[in-house]
Amino acid sequence: MTTVMVVDDHPMWREAVERDLAARGFEVVATAGDAGSAVRRALAVRPDVVVMDLQLGTGSGVDATRDVVAALPGTRVLVLSASAEQADVLEAVKAGASGYLVKSAGADELADAVTRTAAGDAVFSAGLAGLLLGEYRRLQAGPDPGAPQLTERETEVLKLVSRGLSAKAIAERLVLSHRTVENHVQNTLRKLQLHNRVELTRYAIEHGLTDPDSA
Amino acid sequence: MAGELRQRDLLAPLWRVVVAFRLVAWVLAVAGWFRERDDYPGTAAPVAVLVAMAVWTAVVTVAYSRAAGRRTRVTLLDLGVTVLVLAATVATQPAGAFGEGAPIVTSIWVAGPALAMALARGRDGGVAGAVVVWAAVTFLRGYVGDREVFNLTLLVLTAGLLGYAATITRRAELALREAAAAQAAAQERERLGRAVHDGVLQVLAAVRRRGVDPELTRLAAEQEVALRGLLTTGPEVAVGTADLGTALRLLATPDVDVAGPAEPVELPAHTAAELTAAVREALANTAEHAAGAHAWVSLEPADDEVVVVVRDDGPGIPDGRLPAAAGEGHHGVRSSICGRLADLGGSAVLHTAPGQGTEWELTIPRGTPR
Repeated sequence: MTTVMVVDDHPMWREAVERDLAARGFEVVATAGDAGSAVRRALAVRPDVVVMDLQLGTGSGVDATRDVVAALPGTRVLVLSASAEQADVLEAVKAGASGYLVKSAGADELADAVTRTAAGDAVFSAGLAGLLLGEYRRLQAGPDPGAPQLTERETEVLKLVSRGLSAKAIAERLVLSHRTVENHVQNTLRKLQLHNRVELTRYAIEHGLTDPDSA
Repeated sequence: MAGELRQRDLLAPLWRVVVAFRLVAWVLAVAGWFRERDDYPGTAAPVAVLVAMAVWTAVVTVAYSRAAGRRTRVTLLDLGVTVLVLAATVATQPAGAFGEGAPIVTSIWVAGPALAMALARGRDGGVAGAVVVWAAVTFLRGYVGDREVFNLTLLVLTAGLLGYAATITRRAELALREAAAAQAAAQERERLGRAVHDGVLQVLAAVRRRGVDPELTRLAAEQEVALRGLLTTGPEVAVGTADLGTALRLLATPDVDVAGPAEPVELPAHTAAELTAAVREALANTAEHAAGAHAWVSLEPADDEVVVVVRDDGPGIPDGRLPAAAGEGHHGVRSSICGRLADLGGSAVLHTAPGQGTEWELTIPRGTPR
């Protein structure tokens, strides 16, 4: 059974999500209402999936995501967020979240997303594709020559995802296999997360926050 | 609001300087005439001119002392009357006397409108006023000597600098006002946001999750998305421009997903509003003809253009249906979407087929960034 932890600062929302997931066969092993206890409890119970809200009363869901992903390689984070926090969503995904779902998504959609996240797939909404396209565009215009870039095919695929086409529909349109489309999508996310990790390490070394030998 | 803004008119002290200059210049003109009164053949004509100057000085003193009188129109009228008074000085001297250096009774009083125009229209207004005044005096003299060149330089320099100072002051005032307004708006939004986030949103979310009554659930979901959209702060953009991303995200509902970059997509405010209206029209079209369909709005900026794609998974529009609808008087699609885009110098292309949904591709060229 897939174990899930729900992080949200609203008790009512937390309970509702917990109930929805439990009703669909997931085991909700922990809940948390702020970033600090989210990380502590995640380390204690090691859930398969953390369903993370980004607007937490105290602490940031982005930092909690980064800490959980860094400490628990087997745990995946699914961001469940209001549509109003685009920049935060992008940061959370760069910090290692495997997917993003808007809070207005239905209970079945959420259950499906948790299942896919547990299986190691990226949950790719149209909104996330739009954010990634924007981020790659920003990186390309920036001064960093080592910034990751999208291939033409990847750009094409992400654009279709952002227009709401399913992987199946994209595969048909571009005459590709379903799996190839999924791989392209996963790659765009992984490249960005890798770049973000390299950047963080470089920043830490430059500012003497870590011992280069142990990094 | 208007009264408050007027009170904070940072240019008011400069207008007072212009008024004071006019008064002092009139006193100097009277003193000048008195000292050189032997150079005038008669007394009646110069005194009449000095009286006319006094009357006009009084008029502009009143006009420039209130915000309503500090207008370009008034300064142009000032310039016209001043040139007329200057022209009237021909009655004070015999023909040809000015060409031999006879005194002009108006003296430096005629520089007044150039300074007023500088405050009303900035540097260019000041320089234009200065040149007109100088040209009128020089025309009267009938020649250009060292003194005329010197006067022109001084006049243009003073009025130009004053105009430049006025422009800078105006910009500073505008920036100050915008900053204050933005801060107030942000504080208010934060306050409302906290209240809504902790209260109403939680209840709406709970209603939706419990899902007792389908109709109630749908309404709760719609209101929740709308409220969250309203709380979107949106990145700060320059004056006169708008972030198309923020505008489009406000269109999100449970049935409409909006995708775009996190970074602002800055466009002239009018362009963003028209494009948003076109997208709204396309979404309304979907809601009307494809009930229950899901729609996606995708904002895809490029260096030289901005593309917005509005797609739905409805039944699509059969061949020939769209022109037929236009013929029947349904101008919605053609005028609202294609017309708006054409007005913006862009294009609207519709891809559709039965069973394939509809896909609008709205493209507008991106002007050179400011």
